Amino acid sequence: MTSENGALLELRNLKKYFPVGGGLLGGLTGKKEYLKAVDGINLTIEPGTTYGLVGESGCGKSTTAKMVLMLENPTEGEIFFEGQDAINSSSAAKKYYKSNVQAVFQDPWASLNPRMRVQGIISEPLEVNTKMTKLQIKNKVSEILEEVGLQSYQANLYPHEFSGGQRQRIGVARSLALNPKLIVLDEPVSALDVSIRAQIMNLLMDLQKEHGLTYLLIAHHLATVRYMCDKMGVMYLGKMVEQAVTDDLFDTPAHPYTQALIGAALPYHPDDTKEDSILEGEVPSPINPPSCCSYAPLCPEPDPACDANEITYREVGSGRNHWTAHCAHCMDTYGCYYFPRVNPNVRGI
Amino acid sequence: MSTKTSSEETTKKSIGDVILEVNNLQTYFVSKWGVVKAVDDISFNLRSGETLGIVGESGSGKSVTVTSLMRLVPSPPGHIVGGEVFLEGTDLLQVNDRAMEKVRGDKMAMILQDPMTALNPVFDIEDQVGEALGIHEGLRGKTLKSTVIDMLKKVRIPAPETRMKDYPHQLSGGMRQRVVGAIGISCNPVVLIADEPTTSLDATIQAQYLNLLNDLQEETGVGIIFITHDFGVVAKMCDRVAVMYAGKIVETGTVREIFNNPLHPYTEALIKSVPKLDENVDRLYAIPGNPPNLSNRPSGCNFQPKCSTPNEACITEEPILVEESEGHIVAYCAPCYEEHKCAWFPRDIN
Repeated sequence: MTSENGALLELRNLKKYFPVGGGLLGGLTGKKEYLKAVDGINLTIEPGTTYGLVGESGCGKSTTAKMVLMLENPTEGEIFFEGQDAINSSSAAKKYYKSNVQAVFQDPWASLNPRMRVQGIISEPLEVNTKMTKLQIKNKVSEILEEVGLQSYQANLYPHEFSGGQRQRIGVARSLALNPKLIVLDEPVSALDVSIRAQIMNLLMDLQKEHGLTYLLIAHHLATVRYMCDKMGVMYLGKMVEQAVTDDLFDTPAHPYTQALIGAALPYHPDDTKEDSILEGEVPSPINPPSCCSYAPLCPEPDPACDANEITYREVGSGRNHWTAHCAHCMDTYGCYYFPRVNPNVRGI
Repeated sequence: MSTKTSSEETTKKSIGDVILEVNNLQTYFVSKWGVVKAVDDISFNLRSGETLGIVGESGSGKSVTVTSLMRLVPSPPGHIVGGEVFLEGTDLLQVNDRAMEKVRGDKMAMILQDPMTALNPVFDIEDQVGEALGIHEGLRGKTLKSTVIDMLKKVRIPAPETRMKDYPHQLSGGMRQRVVGAIGISCNPVVLIADEPTTSLDATIQAQYLNLLNDLQEETGVGIIFITHDFGVVAKMCDRVAVMYAGKIVETGTVREIFNNPLHPYTEALIKSVPKLDENVDRLYAIPGNPPNLSNRPSGCNFQPKCSTPNEACITEEPILVEESEGHIVAYCAPCYEEHKCAWFPRDIN
């Protein structure tokens, strides 16, 4: 079952603001500041595909993942799963949603309870959500373990008895226990050693093919995203700045931030011919971001209206669903992109 | 920057004499489960103006190697049990603690991985950059202050005069790591050790920082030992590479030799298993198994499909190092080198 546009998961104008500062004085004056961690994200994921969300630390990608997992309540916006509103729904529908949306976390040392045996870790979701008997659960656990490349006797061991790669396999096994439709992969390989990463990525791809799983992959390593994803979105300062089919985004990146991310990717050979483009300046604080044209060399004089950070999306190319974010105020005059930045030193070039 | 210019730049780079020579260094840790040979008989050298990359996974012994060079291995449980470390002709393992204190931060400096823990949160930037300058160069007052400003300018901190009054928490991650870099180069070291300095930085900030280190090397001619697990960093930064695995260097060579003609299966796997940005592959090359437990290491050729007869000697005997071409050295399993030419590659296959 999917929504009318065929999407398994759809995020509509999703926002998460965290109140900050203020303190006593702020409380008295009624002035409250907000950290806009996620500020109006729209995305759709079709069943059986992988959507990659990339961006640097602090851009809001993990907050987005938490909202999808219902670990954070959105400030505004909607989450549609199989065409149904998941946030404003009955508790039975929420239970259905939560058992169909599972997660694999970044750090396999922190995400497994050190006091539980692997058997307990994987069977816990089954005990809570299904009416399976103990024997059925035991069989199911050993079946899943074999599927992720472990052996069934290892169900009796504790997490510390495994290496990093094996632990991440246990994390994957736990997320598979309830036969979910969507798995949120939050940096699933970045804590692992290089020679182990490829093992886990291949495992995830195999499982997807076998079970028709849908993935939402959160990552900062671009090549990982290129390898695993069908569609992807680039986040910057809580907003989606570019969204496209993966190959299109790598072949014709439109937004200067996407170009810089691709340019900053390290070479894989000393004779690599990649253009070395270095992004200047730093990501501004999301509490009080500067003008959204501050890194747009085309905009000669940012208007106060640019400070409102109103953005508008424009399609790149035609008909391939490739969108990029512009400053709503001066897009038509100067073609400015939405790209607030501190100390860029490039204005007027 | 196109390839042509970057390869021209590498050749243009002035690489001088050997300044650091490490011979048969051994650092062991004594634990209740036995002796862990974290660094087991490794040798390498470094020339001035050169960047040597030490590549390996967590637990391969790369960080213990450089902490041994600085003589900062926590003891107990760690002990440097053998070897020589010649810095400009002096064996650092033989000098007394006072003399070693003069070397640290002066002739040999270090940039650590996490700038938040490397910097002291209760001192401002001026104090921390100025500390080594005060101790080693004896600078005081105005000269100290102006040198600190110069150092911060060198690492491209904007408005250093005002920024140096900031505390670490007021700076962004990239700026903090620049400050650590400024401390590292403040006394004009001969050898700069960078222990995964960019792993905690974002991709775009990492690119800025790596370029900065390259520029600093060009200006000062410092020899850099760059510890990393990322072959992308190696391709961008290094002139020569030493690949560490299970406490030993399994392959050494120039960066081009290592990338074009990796002879050890581990090096090859590390290069091949990384997905590429401009290439869409169906399946990644994955190396099976896990790095071995160092207190109970399996046979040196247990992972070699060629070798059908691993025996007791393959476990106990040290690997032999064979120079395949000039400067390109590979570790082989000694007992069966003649017969099967097995690479020394103990691996936990379960």
